[in-house]
Amino acid sequence: MNDLIVKVITKMLFPFIMVYGFYVMLHGHLSPGGGFSGGAIIGGGFVLFTLVFGLAKAEALLPHRYLKYVESGGLLFYMGIGLFGLFTTGYFLSNQSAGFYMGEAFTLFSSGMILYITFAIGLKVASTMITLFRYIIDEEYDHD
Amino acid sequence: MNQYPIMMMVLMLASAALIPIVNVKFKQHLHAFIMIVMSALVLLGIFNVKHVIAFGESYINFGGYRASIGIEFYISQLSSLFVLFVIVLSWIIILYSLKDMDHHIANSKLKSYYTLVFLMLFALIGLSFTFDMFNMYVFMEILSLTSAAIISIKDKRENILASFRYLLLNTIGSLSILFGIALLYMVSGHLNMGELYRSMSTLIELYPMNLLLAIGFMFMGLAIKSAMFPMHVWLPDAHSTAPSPSSALLSGIVVKVYIFTVIKLMVYVFGVDVIRTLQIDVAISILAVVGMIMGSIFAIGQKDIKRMLAYSSVAQIGYMFLGLSLLTSAGIAAVMFHIITHGIIKSALFLSAGSIIYKTDIRDLRQFNGMGYTMPLTMAVFSVAALGLIGIPGINGFMSKVYLSLAIVDGGQPLLLGAILVSSYLNAVYYLPIIINSFLRNDPVSQPNMIAEKLPNVMIASMLVLLLAMIVTGFYPQLFMRSIESAVAFLGL
Amino acid sequence: MIESILEHINYIGAMALFIIGLYTVLTHNNLLKRVIGINIMETAVFLFFVSIGYVEGARAPIVLENGETLFVNPIPSALILTGIVVAVSITAYSLSLIVKLYQHHQTLDMSEIMAAQSEDRS
Repeated sequence: MNDLIVKVITKMLFPFIMVYGFYVMLHGHLSPGGGFSGGAIIGGGFVLFTLVFGLAKAEALLPHRYLKYVESGGLLFYMGIGLFGLFTTGYFLSNQSAGFYMGEAFTLFSSGMILYITFAIGLKVASTMITLFRYIIDEEYDHD
Repeated sequence: MNQYPIMMMVLMLASAALIPIVNVKFKQHLHAFIMIVMSALVLLGIFNVKHVIAFGESYINFGGYRASIGIEFYISQLSSLFVLFVIVLSWIIILYSLKDMDHHIANSKLKSYYTLVFLMLFALIGLSFTFDMFNMYVFMEILSLTSAAIISIKDKRENILASFRYLLLNTIGSLSILFGIALLYMVSGHLNMGELYRSMSTLIELYPMNLLLAIGFMFMGLAIKSAMFPMHVWLPDAHSTAPSPSSALLSGIVVKVYIFTVIKLMVYVFGVDVIRTLQIDVAISILAVVGMIMGSIFAIGQKDIKRMLAYSSVAQIGYMFLGLSLLTSAGIAAVMFHIITHGIIKSALFLSAGSIIYKTDIRDLRQFNGMGYTMPLTMAVFSVAALGLIGIPGINGFMSKVYLSLAIVDGGQPLLLGAILVSSYLNAVYYLPIIINSFLRNDPVSQPNMIAEKLPNVMIASMLVLLLAMIVTGFYPQLFMRSIESAVAFLGL
Repeated sequence: MIESILEHINYIGAMALFIIGLYTVLTHNNLLKRVIGINIMETAVFLFFVSIGYVEGARAPIVLENGETLFVNPIPSALILTGIVVAVSITAYSLSLIVKLYQHHQTLDMSEIMAAQSEDRS
């Protein structure tokens, strides 16, 4: 895009969008939000950046070869936490009986594994939205 | 405790996540990884069946939460047998696809194809074991997305349109099912299938209209997804334009798992008394009979071989719904046996059609003269499978018709035998000309004798394994039928 | 009469939206309108599911430190969150299929595309 106002405002707003997205993601067990909404906000921020500055600059900011590790890593991390619960107690994805740190209510580090799982889900949703958007706007997008 | 189902699902999901990120230089390494994962899955499936037979049926609660507040899986004998059938058949089809997919898609997309197939297997295993209504809906959505994607991965015009129609109609079906689940949740407050069954007797008295609407919406959704007669319009395009391993996977496995879900809903959630009182079994049997006959009539006029096989699938699904509408133990055992038989036969048909297209690029049925002399092994597998569908003794298709007819007479409706007879005649009308044209109408000058054709080894091996399975099960159906009947006895019909 | 309509307005709204969405998918020829029809149907089902959990005079199901105890049922909201993600994935996938179809045929009309393909086949 060639408009100067849009470029300047996007550069100023982009860090605030990221911080807000991480806030919504990390406070999933205390207030409305959680993994899906937080990941969508972060993904939306990157989509805004790609629309305003073009695909080449966005690719330089966050190249695909790191993004694909985030995608698969989120899924494997979720399953790792589940399997940790399977090995300590007999049940997949157990929370308090598997020994996660429960803390006291209404603080950030409470309710065991829910914090880690929403973080993994949020990162995965964000990376999926970015990859999908890059594929849709450029059909010869071949990452490796 | 039985941990094998969770290990199977974690193995599939982890492999689906690992395939895009491992950097393989050679295709042989990718093939080796895929076959190792599939063989491990088959071993886990066999151990699961052994555990269930030795220790009885069990429940898996996720997170240790009890059934009324958490998600539960029910590992019954019937679902373990069904999952073992799904896994072994997909092992054979994936073995075939290692060489055949090069013919259809570019090398850079092979990783995406196998990721999609593994996610589809994950959803199939989860859908068979689940005991919670909303969990069933989530697995159905994963299944519809991945099965639409393995059709459109081949980038031709007709594939993309077929995949779009498939996705649209499946989404309408899923939304109907979700509406039915919402109606049930509204009056009972439970999402667990066991809890719904226990509260079903009070529900019929207090809210009969709600229950009727819920059953109607859910059956309509499942009928769209499993191609019962008037809602089958997506099936011919989708199964005929897809690459051959995808057609075999879709037609042999994915359509069957929705029929298994109908069995699960009728037995575990609603109970056969409710279904009989509301006369849903009469409606299903009428639509099944019409489907059996109309599916074959549509198949007679087709010129493309894969389209004809797809219409034949519609007719065979009519058979399964007919057996299901009897609501007896013998009926459900016959349906399960026909699911296994039809899976093997339809996969053999699609894989041999795929070999013919791979070698000679001929899809038109009018050019099949003398095909038995240029490709004898492939046409032998095709002919044995086609004769099995017609019902010639010695092949497992005959035994499944015998079991179905005995179940119909046992269930007290002998008039339906006429429908099976008419449908078998119609099957003969369109399968026999292909066999006759390929073996008896050759040109004796240019093709004097039969030479075994040169196909890649894995393709020949997978077709011969299916041929062996068809003939052995045709002579000794007790191999499967004994375990099926003991599993169905647990349902308590 | 008016009171009973107002009392059950969520059921009437959900059914009306479902039928409008189904009509759009079945009768319009434009591919984009069909995808929009699917989205309307999904909105109808989600509206129905979430409105079931309402309790008269209760507050949103977030536990705060002032100790109130009457909450709206949180289970439908959690289920529909998953449903919305599924709906977004299906919309994204079908829209990319439409982009590819437009590149092949240069039209978005379903009857023209099917006519072009049936003469392709014969």
